[in-house]
Amino acid sequence: MEPLLVAQGLAKRFGTLEAVRGVSLALCPGEILAFLGKNGAGKTTTVKMLSGLLLPDGGSVRLLGQDPFRNPGALRHLGAVLEGNRNTYWRLTPLENLVYFGVARGLRLFQARRRAMVLLEEYGLLEKAHTEVRHLSRGMQQKLALLQALVHDPEVLLLDEPTLGLDVETALRVQEKVRALAQGGKAILLTTHQMEVAEALAHRIAIIHRGRIVLEGTKGEILARFAGNHYVLELETPPPQEVLSRLRALGVEGEGPFLYRGDGEGLWRVLEALKPLPLKRVARAEADLLEVFLKVVEHA
Amino acid sequence: MLDLFLVELWRSLLMLRRYPLELLGAVVTLSLIFYLLFLGARFLAGPGAEFGGKLEAVLVGYLLWTFTLGAYNGLAFGLTEEAQTGTLEQVFLTPYGPIPLFLVRNLAELLGHALLVLLVALCLMPLTGAKLAFPPLVILPFLAVLLGGYGLGFAVGSLALLYKRVGQLLGLSQFLLLFLLQAPGEGLFALLPLTPGAALAREMMAEGAPLRPWALLLACLNGGAYLGLGLILFAQAVRRAKATGLLHGY
Repeated sequence: MEPLLVAQGLAKRFGTLEAVRGVSLALCPGEILAFLGKNGAGKTTTVKMLSGLLLPDGGSVRLLGQDPFRNPGALRHLGAVLEGNRNTYWRLTPLENLVYFGVARGLRLFQARRRAMVLLEEYGLLEKAHTEVRHLSRGMQQKLALLQALVHDPEVLLLDEPTLGLDVETALRVQEKVRALAQGGKAILLTTHQMEVAEALAHRIAIIHRGRIVLEGTKGEILARFAGNHYVLELETPPPQEVLSRLRALGVEGEGPFLYRGDGEGLWRVLEALKPLPLKRVARAEADLLEVFLKVVEHA
Repeated sequence: MLDLFLVELWRSLLMLRRYPLELLGAVVTLSLIFYLLFLGARFLAGPGAEFGGKLEAVLVGYLLWTFTLGAYNGLAFGLTEEAQTGTLEQVFLTPYGPIPLFLVRNLAELLGHALLVLLVALCLMPLTGAKLAFPPLVILPFLAVLLGGYGLGFAVGSLALLYKRVGQLLGLSQFLLLFLLQAPGEGLFALLPLTPGAALAREMMAEGAPLRPWALLLACLNGGAYLGLGLILFAQAVRRAKATGLLHGY
C-alpha cells in the first residue's frame, strides 16, 4: 500500500540542541503509528515538521506526494490536534469553530456547515453546538479539537496527546473513535505518554529517544521480541514445600503465579519438577508496551 | 477564496454581535480622547477662539487615524492573541497559506473598522460642531490610505509573529501614525506611508475639494508600495518563524 505521509531524514537543531536527527517515517492508509518518547525526545518537533509548521534543517516531508512547505495546498490532506494548543476559538461555539476551520481548510461554506452538523451529532456534541467553547468541559473541548482536525475529512491525522487530561470514560470514547477512523482508511500518527492507549490502538510503534528513532516495527513483532524466553505457570493448588524447593533450585520465581526465565528445554525440567500437581496455565510471558518503552529508553 | 472571505466576515460580525461592548468601548474612548483634546485646545485659545477650517481638517485626520489603526494594529493584535490562546498553529495549517488568509481576514474586518469610524464621526461632529462633507468618492483616498495601513500592519505583524509581545511598540507607533496622517501630502512627505492619501481625503472632506485623479494615483502607488513591502517582510517573518519554531508559544 502506498504511504500517504512520508518523512525522510528529518533533522532539526535549536541552537546547540539537536532536537531531531535523521527521523524517517511512513504512514499508510488505515494504519495507526504510535510515536513514543520521553519529554524532550523530539516527538512534538517531528510532528510540527510533518505538519508543515516547522521547517526542517534537513530531510523532506511528502504529504500525498506533495511538499507542504512549498505547496500549502497539500495541507488540505492533513488534520492535526496539537499538544499544548487549545486548537479552537474559545469565543466561538463548536458549530462556528467547525464551520470556520472547515472553510479555512478548503471546504465551501455550505459543505463545512453540513459536515460540522454531521460530526457534532456523531460525536455527541450536537446539544452543545451553540455553547461557546470556553463554557464546555475539558473532555468536550478535546473532542472538539479532534473534530476540528476531521472537519475537512483529511486522509492523514496527526494526533499529539489527544486523550491527555480526559476522564477515563471520555478517553475510552476518543480511543474508539480513533480506532474507527483508522478502520475507515485514515493514516494516523499518534503521540502519547499513555502507553496503554498506544498499546490499545497502534498497529505500528516507533520510539524516539534524543532525536533518533531507536525502535520501530509492528506492535506484534515488538512485543514478541521483548517478551523473550519467559514463561508464566499457574497451579490449581499451592505446591508442597519439597516441590517449591525443587522449583527454586531450577530458578523459578514468584509465589504463584510463577515466572520461569529460561528456554523451552528448561521449561520441561520445571514441568517435570511439578509432576503430578494439576496445572492451571502455562504460557509464554507477554511484554507490555510500557516495559518495552522503559527497556528501550534505558538502553538507548 | 470567496468562501474564506465570507467565513471571515461572518466571524468578525459574530464577534461584533457577541461582544458589542468592545465596539462601544472603542467608540467612547476614541471620541473622548478627541473631545478632551478639543476642549483643552479651546480652553488654551480662549472662549472666543475659532478654529476655522482647521478643526475639520484635524477631525478628518483623526478619523483616518482611527480607520487606519484597525488596519495597522489588527494583524499584530490578532497574531498575539492567537499565539496566547493557542490557535495560531491551527490557522497556519490552512491550505490557502497564511498570507492570503490574513489578507482576506483584514478585508473582512474592514466593515467593523468602517462602522467604528462612522460612529466616532457621528459622536464628534455634534460635540465639536465640525461639519464634514462625505462625498462618495472620498472612499478612494481612504482605500489608498488603508492599503498603506495594511502594509504597515503586515510589517508590525512580522514583529508580532517573531517576538509576540509588541504591545508597547504598537502603542508608541500609533502616534507616528497620527503624524503621518496629518502631514502634508507633497514633496518628500509624499514618499512617507499614508501621507498622499490622507492629504487628499482631508482636502475632500474638510474643504469640499473635488477628487484629483493624479493625487489619487500617487496615493494608490504609495499605498500599494507599502503594502508590497509589508507583505515581503511578513513572508520573511513567516519563514523565520517556521525555521525557528516561533509559531508556537507566547
